[in-house]
Amino acid sequence: MEREVIEAELVLPTYLNFKRIQMYDKYPKGQNRSRHWKHLKQILQAENYQNYPPDEPNYVNIGSPPSMHPCKRICDITGFEAPYFDPRTNLRYANADVFKLIRSLPNEYVQRYLALRNAAVVLK
Amino acid sequence: MPFITQTQRQSDYNLFPSTTPIVIDNGASYFRIGWAGENDPRLIFRNIVQRPRHKATGETVTIVGDHDPALLKYFDCTRSGPRSAFDSNVVYQFEIMEYILDFGFDRMGADGSQVDHPVLITECVCNPVQSRSKMAELLFETYGVPSVAFGVDAAFSYKYNQQLGVCDKDGLAICPGFSTTHVIPFVDGEPVYQGCCRTSVGGYHVTDYLKQLLSLKYPHHMTRMTWEKVEDLKMEHCYIAPDYASEARLFQKGTKEAEDKTRCWQLPWIPQPVEEPPSEDEIARKAAIKEKQGQRLREMAEAKRSSRINELENELHGLEFLLQQLENVEQNDIPSFLSKTGYVSKQEIESAHVKVTQSLRKAKGEPKAEQVDIEEKMDASTTEKYPLINIPDNMLSPEQLKEKKRQLFLKTTSEGRQRAKQKRFEEELERERQNQQDEEKRLENPELYLEQLRARHRELSEKVEQRKRLKTNGGNTNGNNNFSGGVGRGERLNAAQKERMRLLTTAAFDRGKGEDTFGARDEDWQLYKLMSKDNDDDDEGPDMDEAELARISSRLQDIDPTFVSRPEVGPFQPVVEIPKFRRLTQEDYQVVFGVERFRCPEILFHPNLVGIDQVGLDEMAGVSMKRLPSKGQDVEERLTSSILITGGSSLFPGMSERLEAGIRMIRPCGTPIRVVRASDPVLDAWHGAAAYAAALRFPEQTFSKMDYYEKGEDWLRRYQLRYTL
Repeated sequence: MEREVIEAELVLPTYLNFKRIQMYDKYPKGQNRSRHWKHLKQILQAENYQNYPPDEPNYVNIGSPPSMHPCKRICDITGFEAPYFDPRTNLRYANADVFKLIRSLPNEYVQRYLALRNAAVVLK
Repeated sequence: MPFITQTQRQSDYNLFPSTTPIVIDNGASYFRIGWAGENDPRLIFRNIVQRPRHKATGETVTIVGDHDPALLKYFDCTRSGPRSAFDSNVVYQFEIMEYILDFGFDRMGADGSQVDHPVLITECVCNPVQSRSKMAELLFETYGVPSVAFGVDAAFSYKYNQQLGVCDKDGLAICPGFSTTHVIPFVDGEPVYQGCCRTSVGGYHVTDYLKQLLSLKYPHHMTRMTWEKVEDLKMEHCYIAPDYASEARLFQKGTKEAEDKTRCWQLPWIPQPVEEPPSEDEIARKAAIKEKQGQRLREMAEAKRSSRINELENELHGLEFLLQQLENVEQNDIPSFLSKTGYVSKQEIESAHVKVTQSLRKAKGEPKAEQVDIEEKMDASTTEKYPLINIPDNMLSPEQLKEKKRQLFLKTTSEGRQRAKQKRFEEELERERQNQQDEEKRLENPELYLEQLRARHRELSEKVEQRKRLKTNGGNTNGNNNFSGGVGRGERLNAAQKERMRLLTTAAFDRGKGEDTFGARDEDWQLYKLMSKDNDDDDEGPDMDEAELARISSRLQDIDPTFVSRPEVGPFQPVVEIPKFRRLTQEDYQVVFGVERFRCPEILFHPNLVGIDQVGLDEMAGVSMKRLPSKGQDVEERLTSSILITGGSSLFPGMSERLEAGIRMIRPCGTPIRVVRASDPVLDAWHGAAAYAAALRFPEQTFSKMDYYEKGEDWLRRYQLRYTL
């Protein structure tokens, strides 16, 4: 290790006195990519919230409902108000200049713009 | 205004008695740890872990939090980016969490055999029990913590500000955080989770949106848009528009005000050295080199030609010698003589002689016409050459009949040749006549004539070019298809072949509709002619065009010294502009953002702009009050008159004004509305927790390892702090 790295104490020591179980004892194989921690979705599924009274607050039922306001439509490129919609690319646009631009965009960029508002075509 | 990171090692760990709790604000973006009762956390660092490989030794190391990027040059970070223990706002990767806690306790100065202090750690609202129990287990088993308490960051912040007198004991805590935004109503100083609501949008989404928008707008500078840089940009420049639509219209119109609001980020830029135009000498030198090369090529061609002439002459001499010898040889000895030379008969030698003479002429550049004459002369005495033709068949023997057939064939071919010669002669005359006419015209008005000639040349060359193009790549006149690399059947055929395919398919499929009348008219049969393969060849038209083009170019060459036959560089062709690379200027290295400054934080109010179908900040307040079990106008009025905004994303300028306006819209007219910002939106959660943990009755709210194992999971699920002690 370089001197400046040691001086900055950049690297977390592998042995720490205050720990009862050291990292290398707990995970002897080291960082394992295949070790799987349950994702939030899986955690929530395992919580079985349906077994509890519905008025009891839990992680799922405190989530916000969809908005009651009409959906705001803004130009995907410029952010201006978008009165128009291009059926070919599915992008919303504000004026003729932007239209020219979106028609010249390669499909990859169109998809990335759509992905910004979660409307891109997802291939599974 | 980036967040501060402080990770200096603390030395006073042993001065604290084991009853002093350690307070941790475990936020999705920042981790803050310190002692209960103190004014500020001891350590603040980003809640991320990197596990790069050390370049020199090759071992994988663990680096927690943000560090001096200059030190990271010793590590190979290509295979592991920064990782977080959080999924949304819930801790799920406890391996990473353990690294972070290791680092936190280590820097706090812990050195005993265990961390012998109670721990108060924050979690999200309604944390799933799985995550909570894993965290408790980690703290108990690995660090030997005597007791643990879990609390909600936004609640601590609200309580802290309540103590400061910023807000009342009834009120709303609106907490736009890093990955989620919460609204928690407080009644009598206690959070009411039944009325709580959470939208999955936060500072992370704002930064990500800004990053994506800027990298889409400036694809060339994509590498510059690192997460940290964009985060800085966000904190420095983003604001919340009082009214998005009118603000956007301001920019759309390009007003002065909008111009003032537009920010520009100048990327490091070094002007390129100016390229000097080549000097006269340089041009002359280049021309000389070119001339020299041309000269060499010409010499090479000349040498080749002369060597070929030499070769042919030698062969001719040899053949002549052979013929002479053959004259001298006796009739009987001819076969044996010939077998030595390799020729079968005298005729073969003669024909070889003729061939060589011809090619010699060609090589010397003599016109071909004379050769024809010679040929004609050779068989001048036609009639005596074909004696058998005029004798009737029945007077001949079988051999003679064969001979007669041969003679007939020879005669017709020679006659054909003669006719062709006649035609050529006539053409020559015609050309001569045309030239004469041209000459006359030229003499009349040289300028006009030249112009006409050029026009004609241009026209013809275009026509020929067009034809060639059509022949090579069919009807694809729009350049696009040529570069697409498509090699479908369509692309491989030329226009004529395509037409043929079309005819065949229509012929095959255009049957059976009503009455079949094919063949009733004579024109129908033309179809087969079109279909026949031979049709691919050119008809006479283009050839004539090409001949005419050649004539005109030669004529132009004669009379116009400036004429160049290549149409691309011809003086009358529109000069094709070569796309010259524009020199990059300072402006090319600027990242300009105007609308983005308020477009990105706008997603907090309208999450559907980034495709999250949930209510925004202002509506959340309404949803939250609707969810409250204890309804009543006076409760709601008390809540709205004490709205506290806390959390990192509430730092955007204009947040409280916008929120107030938004909430006013959903509340009945005349409702008292007061929106205040927490004294320190980022650190108040820790401040509140530290103050809470310092209270005398804090130990009642904690639970020990024994409790954890005896009371079971269901108890842990319902575990909840009392915030009012």
